[in-house]
Amino acid sequence: MSSIVCATRGGEGSRAAQMAAIKRAKETGEPLLFLYIVDPDSLEEKISDSLKEAILAELIWMGETLLRIAQKRANLAHLSTEIKIRRGNVHEEIVRFMKDVEADLLVLGAPRGTTANIFGDDAIERLAEVIRQETAVSVEIIRPDYVNTTSELLSYD
Amino acid sequence: MDIAVLAEQFPIFLQAEEGGLVQQELSFMILLFIAAMVAIVVRRIRLPYTVALVLVGLVLSFFPNFLGFSVSSDLILAILVPPLVFEATLHIPWRKLKKDLLPVLLLAFGGTLVGTFLVGGLVHFLGISWAAALAFGALISATDPVAVIAFFRSLGVSKRLTILVEGESLFNDGVAIVIFNLALAAGTLSGSFGLGEALQSFFIVAFGGVAVGITLGYVVSYIILKNVDDHLIETATTVALAFGSFVVAESFGQFIGVEGLHFSGILAVVAAGLMVGNIGFQNTSPTTKLTLDNFWEFLSFVVNSLVFLLIGLEIELTQLRPNIIPIVVAVLAIILSRGLIIYTFSWVYGRIQPRNRIPFNFQHVMYWGGLRGAISLALALSIEDAVFGPEVALELRVMTFGVVLFTLLFQGMTIEKIINRLKLAEVPPQRVELQRRQATLSAKWAGKHELDRLRDDGILFKDIWDSMGQVYDEEIQAKKADLRAHLQDFPELELDMYLQAREDALSAERSAVGEASRRGFISNEVHDELIVELNNRAAALEIIMKNRTRGVEKWERENE
Repeated sequence: MSSIVCATRGGEGSRAAQMAAIKRAKETGEPLLFLYIVDPDSLEEKISDSLKEAILAELIWMGETLLRIAQKRANLAHLSTEIKIRRGNVHEEIVRFMKDVEADLLVLGAPRGTTANIFGDDAIERLAEVIRQETAVSVEIIRPDYVNTTSELLSYD
Repeated sequence: MDIAVLAEQFPIFLQAEEGGLVQQELSFMILLFIAAMVAIVVRRIRLPYTVALVLVGLVLSFFPNFLGFSVSSDLILAILVPPLVFEATLHIPWRKLKKDLLPVLLLAFGGTLVGTFLVGGLVHFLGISWAAALAFGALISATDPVAVIAFFRSLGVSKRLTILVEGESLFNDGVAIVIFNLALAAGTLSGSFGLGEALQSFFIVAFGGVAVGITLGYVVSYIILKNVDDHLIETATTVALAFGSFVVAESFGQFIGVEGLHFSGILAVVAAGLMVGNIGFQNTSPTTKLTLDNFWEFLSFVVNSLVFLLIGLEIELTQLRPNIIPIVVAVLAIILSRGLIIYTFSWVYGRIQPRNRIPFNFQHVMYWGGLRGAISLALALSIEDAVFGPEVALELRVMTFGVVLFTLLFQGMTIEKIINRLKLAEVPPQRVELQRRQATLSAKWAGKHELDRLRDDGILFKDIWDSMGQVYDEEIQAKKADLRAHLQDFPELELDMYLQAREDALSAERSAVGEASRRGFISNEVHDELIVELNNRAAALEIIMKNRTRGVEKWERENE
C-alpha cells in the first residue's frame, strides 16, 4: 500500500507541512510517516573527533522530540502515524526512504519569505524537483501560512 | 630569559619594590571593587560599561595619589593589552575571518598608513614637526572597539560586522605601533631615516611578529593542547602563550644574540590567539574549552575594567581646556580621516569582490564605531620628552587624551542608536516576544508556588490561598494562551523552545552529577567521566544551535 511521507526538520514550515500531511492522510486513508534526517555533516563547522559522537546523539535526541511533537498532532486528529529517523545526506536519504516505503507523496515545509513565487528558484523548490525526478512521486511544498487555515488541528497544549 | 633583562625591557617589573607592594595591591583591589560597583550600576542604566568606567576614572583623578603606582606605557602595552588581544582573537573563527581577510587587512594596513599621513598632515598645521605629527597620526589610528563589540554582542549584530570591526582593530593595533615606533626613530635620527628603510623595518617587524605568534601558537595548539588532557595545565599554558608571545616577539634579538632586533608583540599575540582559538580549541576536550572560555572571559573583564578606569584616571582634565584648539583639530582630523578610509577602502574592496562587498549600513557602523582607547593612550604616554621636546610631547599627550575622551564618550554613547536605526540588531522580534511571554508565564508560576509555600508553612490561611490561587490560575491560563497564540503565528519558535529547554535539561543533569559526587554517591572517576560526557553533549547542542536548519542550505551549496 502506498503512503504519505512528511519530512520534518523543525523549521518555519515544518508545522504547516505536518498539518497538511495529516489532513491529506485523513482524506485518503493512506498511512502517514514522519521522517527526520540526521545529517551531522550539514553543520557548517569543523567538528573535533571527541564531539562527533555527542553531536550525533544530540541530533537524534532533537529528531525524536520533533517527530513525537508531529505524532502528537496526528493523534489529536485521531490519526495513527509512524515516525522514522534516518542518518545521512538529506537529499539522498529522502529519496532512499521514499523508495523503501513505496510512498506516493512527499510533503515538505518551506521557509517564510521565500522567493519562489517571484523567481521560482529557492532551495526547497529545487530540492523538491530533484526528488520528483529521482523517485517519480508527487512532492508538495507547504508554506508556513497554511497553519492559519487549519487551526482546528491545533488544540493541544 | 634573564629577569634583569626583562625588567630592563619592561620597567613595570622594577616598580614592584617591597615597600610599595602593599599599596599597589590595595590600589588594585580598590579598582576592582569600583569596577564591580560600576558594572552593577550600569545594569540599571543605558550606559556602556566602558564609558561609565572612564567617567568614574575621571572623577577619581581629582583625588591626587589615588593610585599606589604610576600608569606607564609598559603597564598598558606589556601587561594589560596582551590578554585583551588574546581573548578577542580566541573567538574569531578563521573560516569567517578568511572570507573578509582582504578588507580587514586593507583597512588595518592601508587604512592605518593612510590615516597616519592624513591625521599627521592635518595636525602638522598646528606647527608640529612632521615626525611628531606622523607619530600622533599613527598612535591615534589604533582603534579600540571594546565598547562597540559589547553592543554588538548584546544586540545580536551580524557576526560578519563583528569580524570586520574586531579584525581591523586587532591588526591595526600592531600596525599602528610599528609605524609609531618608526616615526619616533625618525624624530630621534633627525631626518636621516629613508622611506625605503622605514618600509623594510615595517615589514620585518610586522611579519616577524606574526611568525613568532604562529610558531608559538602552533606549539601550544598541536603539542600541548592536543596531548595534555588537564584543563588547569592547558589554561595555564594559554596564559603563558598570551604574555610569552608578546615578550618573545618584542625581545627577539636577545634570544638569538642580535642586538636591537625586535618584532611586533601585538601582532604576535593576535597570531597566537587565532591559532589557539581555531586549532587549539579543536584539539582539546569540551571541559577544557569551557574552562578556557570562562577563564578568559573573566580575565578580559578584569583587565578591561582596569584599562578603562586607568584611562579616566590618567586623563588630566585641567590640561584639556588650555589645549582646546589642538584637541578640536585632532578630533576633526580623526573623524574626517576615518570616514575617508572606511568609505574609500570599502568602495575599493567592492570593486575587487563585488559579490562580497561591505554593505553601506556596515560601513556607517565601522566609521562611527572607530573608537580610540588603551593603545593610543599607552603610545602617547610612551613619548619621552627628549624625542620631540617636552612641549610637543605634552601637546601630543593632551591631544590623545582629548580624542580618546571624545570617541569614548560621544561616539561610544551614540553607536547603539546608530546600530538600531540601521536595523542591524538581528535578534528577530518574534524571538524577543517569545522570551517575554515565557518569562511572564514563568513569573506567574513562581508566584503561585510561593503561595503554596506560604500555605504549607501555615502563614497563609486556606481561604485566602484558595482565592489568590484561583486568580493566579486564570492569569496562568491567559498567559499560556498568549504563548500558544504566538507559537501558532511563528511555528519555527518551537525549535527555539526545544533547544532552550534541552540546554536547561543538560545543565540540570550536570548539577545532579555534581550533587551525587558531593554526597559521596559516586567516585571522582565516575564524576569526571560523566561530566566530560555531559560537557560534550552541551558543546554539541551549542553547535547545533548555531547551525540550526542547515540541511537544505547544505544541499543548495552542493548544487550551486
